[in-house]
Amino acid sequence: MTDLQMTLTNTAGVSSVMSLWVFIVSNFTGSKSRLKERSIKLGNWVMLIGFLCLSAAIITRGIEAERFPLSNLYESLLWFAWATMGGFIYVSRAYGIYQLGWLASLTAIIFFFYGNCLPQSQHDIMPLVPALVSYWRWIHVPPLIVSYAMFFLAGLSGLLNLYQSGRKVTLGIMILTIAMASTAIGLGTFSDKVEVYILQLMFVGSSLVGTVLGFLSLKKVDAAKSADTEAVKRAAMYDDVGYRCVAVGFPLLTFGIITGGLWANHAWGSYWSWDPKESMALVTWLSYAAYIHLRIQRELSAEKLSVVAVLGLLLTLLTYLGFNSLGFGGLHSYGKIK
Amino acid sequence: MTATVDEMETAAEPTEKTVPSQAEGKKQRRISPLASVQLSVFLMTLMAATILLGAWCPQEAQVGQEKVFEAFDRSTAEFLVRSGITDIFHSPWFLTITALMTVNMVVVSFQRVFPKLKSYNREMPFFGGKEIGKLACNRKLYLRAGSQTAVLGQLTAALTRLGYKVKFSQGQGLKAEFGRLGRLAPTVTHIGLLSLLTGVTITSWTGFNGFRPVLLEESLNFDDAKHAGLWIGKMPAWTVKVVSTRRENYPTGEAKQWFSVLSVVDKDGKVLKTQEISVNNPLSYEGVDIYQSSWGLDQLVVSFNGQKRKLGLNSMGQKYAAFLPLDTDTVLIMSLSSEGKELRVFAKRKEWEAPKLLGVVPLSRTLKLGGVDMVFEKVLPVTGLQYKCDPGLPVTYGAFLIIMVGVLLASIPHRHLWCAIESEGESQALFIGGTSRKAKVGFERSLDKLIEDLGPFKEELK
Ligand code: HEM
Repeated sequence: MTDLQMTLTNTAGVSSVMSLWVFIVSNFTGSKSRLKERSIKLGNWVMLIGFLCLSAAIITRGIEAERFPLSNLYESLLWFAWATMGGFIYVSRAYGIYQLGWLASLTAIIFFFYGNCLPQSQHDIMPLVPALVSYWRWIHVPPLIVSYAMFFLAGLSGLLNLYQSGRKVTLGIMILTIAMASTAIGLGTFSDKVEVYILQLMFVGSSLVGTVLGFLSLKKVDAAKSADTEAVKRAAMYDDVGYRCVAVGFPLLTFGIITGGLWANHAWGSYWSWDPKESMALVTWLSYAAYIHLRIQRELSAEKLSVVAVLGLLLTLLTYLGFNSLGFGGLHSYGKIK
Repeated sequence: MTATVDEMETAAEPTEKTVPSQAEGKKQRRISPLASVQLSVFLMTLMAATILLGAWCPQEAQVGQEKVFEAFDRSTAEFLVRSGITDIFHSPWFLTITALMTVNMVVVSFQRVFPKLKSYNREMPFFGGKEIGKLACNRKLYLRAGSQTAVLGQLTAALTRLGYKVKFSQGQGLKAEFGRLGRLAPTVTHIGLLSLLTGVTITSWTGFNGFRPVLLEESLNFDDAKHAGLWIGKMPAWTVKVVSTRRENYPTGEAKQWFSVLSVVDKDGKVLKTQEISVNNPLSYEGVDIYQSSWGLDQLVVSFNGQKRKLGLNSMGQKYAAFLPLDTDTVLIMSLSSEGKELRVFAKRKEWEAPKLLGVVPLSRTLKLGGVDMVFEKVLPVTGLQYKCDPGLPVTYGAFLIIMVGVLLASIPHRHLWCAIESEGESQALFIGGTSRKAKVGFERSLDKLIEDLGPFKEELK
């Protein structure tokens, strides 16, 4: 890794940390003050700088490696952070939202950190195995990573919708669920001590229990919040933002799955082989198809859709990182580090 | 106004539950319970859970039953095999869900999705203030006298800039529509999904596939091809001979690419086609595709004082090795890199810590081992060939394309907007409102922005 690339990546990491703090500070200023407006603007700018640095870092990495820079877990995490920042910048322009800002920075930071903790072999530029030498690689993978990031943002908007609509209990349950699932992934990646079955159970079990409890607890509403018309408006907005993210993510996921099929057919002669990761992407796809139908046909309430969106986030996490780190097998093991 | 209301139901995607209660009741009676979206969401969930289970448990069809027994203790593995979880994608359970989903999708498509297309070209009527007031999102403001034309002009310009198609009524009003194409999304996507099902069905009834490792100069036939139980296809009469095969390395010695030159040979031995294949670059003949999927060195031929011996090679990291026991204590070890140009010959005795290098011998040369002349005769590579015949593929690919277009269309929010200016006593009232099912808040914001820009024409009522 060259110094330039390192510097750019670090700048991006640092600016996401900075924007996180600026966004957090903005929450403690008076609700309509100029300071608030300024700090949000500043947060957005810092994020934008991080985004640009990261774009440059990815490009320099590609130039240095003389190939498309998306071939191992580390590189894909950089892409994920990039897409999360980019996705936030995209929706924030349309909606002028800031709460999502600190969640988006936080997500980017966690992914930077995760990437940084990976062993050196992941940071180094390595030659590709024959199966990955193909132009299909850069047609197939980037849309998937970007769709994952958009689904993350949709899930985060779901959390904010729950907060603004006064569903504090549900919010707590959903956050706890995400934390449990992330812990399982962290342990699975960096520790050999815990049995994979325990981790799998930890992830899948907490997701199931969390979602069911989440639905059941929706009845508990904070009266003060639901009387606050501003909050109700903001809740509706986050619902909208979540949908916009899914509306961008879903075609990308579809495109990613289909091009994956085309590539597989081209390389192995079968566009679908029920490989675990492939199957998992299909599960995610079906869950967002369900989300869309619930939204369009059933006109489900925003809070219920938010819980579905968080479930979608968990499935996305399972597809993206869980399958490799929690010891599921399969062809797509470039994400494996052990 | 029932006609309008009904049209709104189909075309304008109402946000209010109040609008079409009566019309809805009428419709629901015509629609079969199989067309319920609740059912489809339920089926999608079941399907997702099943696939998740299949992704978690090693599948016999992909990795073989041994892997299941490796991954779990005996009783768990036996349970998984008995319950069909180890071959879940061929289980009656999975096939039943797929079938139900297909029926659900076909019925819904024909009863609910495609009929909506009829209203695609139907024009929405102009709305007056009263109707606009009933829309989910509506605003009312008062205008300065005489500013109507300017207001409508400005609105038109602004809406056009936002991408709306604007039409004027004879009176004082306009209607505008954004993203009409987006309304094609359900139809297009569902046609795509139905085509996908068709393509997959054609393939499973007439296609076949398989894998076989083939030694250099030997031939691939299709005797052990796999196909579905319900099958009406036919196998090719020709075979494929491996003329040559090689591996290309990175400077570090890791594999970069594998190549095989293949000839299609008919029953009488006539060569019909010859082509070099590599990973990502298959040979196609009469609808059968043959892929390079793995590569290795399989056998080593050496001779000792003129006597030939064939030895099996084992892959050891980046090297291949053959072992030849000489007596109970001594083994001759021969190792090669993947180029197969040089053979390194070692001896290992029990009491030695490491093998001793006896010599290095290039291809077709001789190495003297005491009184024995050892010749490195040749090395036989094996090429892993995957083949398949997939007659439904064009339909499936077509379906992929249609689905892609459909989901892209689905991300376009369809919006309708109406505006009417009516006299209310002395004042001019501007009614503006619209519908957008997909991005309500975004729509409201754009509406508020439009109104804000009308500031100069606004009149504050006393
Ligand atoms: C089990 C089968 C399914 C049923 C019964 C079903 C039913 C429906 C219905 C009734 C609509 C609404 C039509 C309208 O409002 O005009 C719809 C829309 C749609 N469906 Fe499905 N669907 C099924 C499966 C799927 C799947 C697997 C996908 C995956 C891509 C999908 C993608 C869509 C899309 C993209 C729309 C358009 C949504 C929009 O307008 O934004 N459907 N579906």
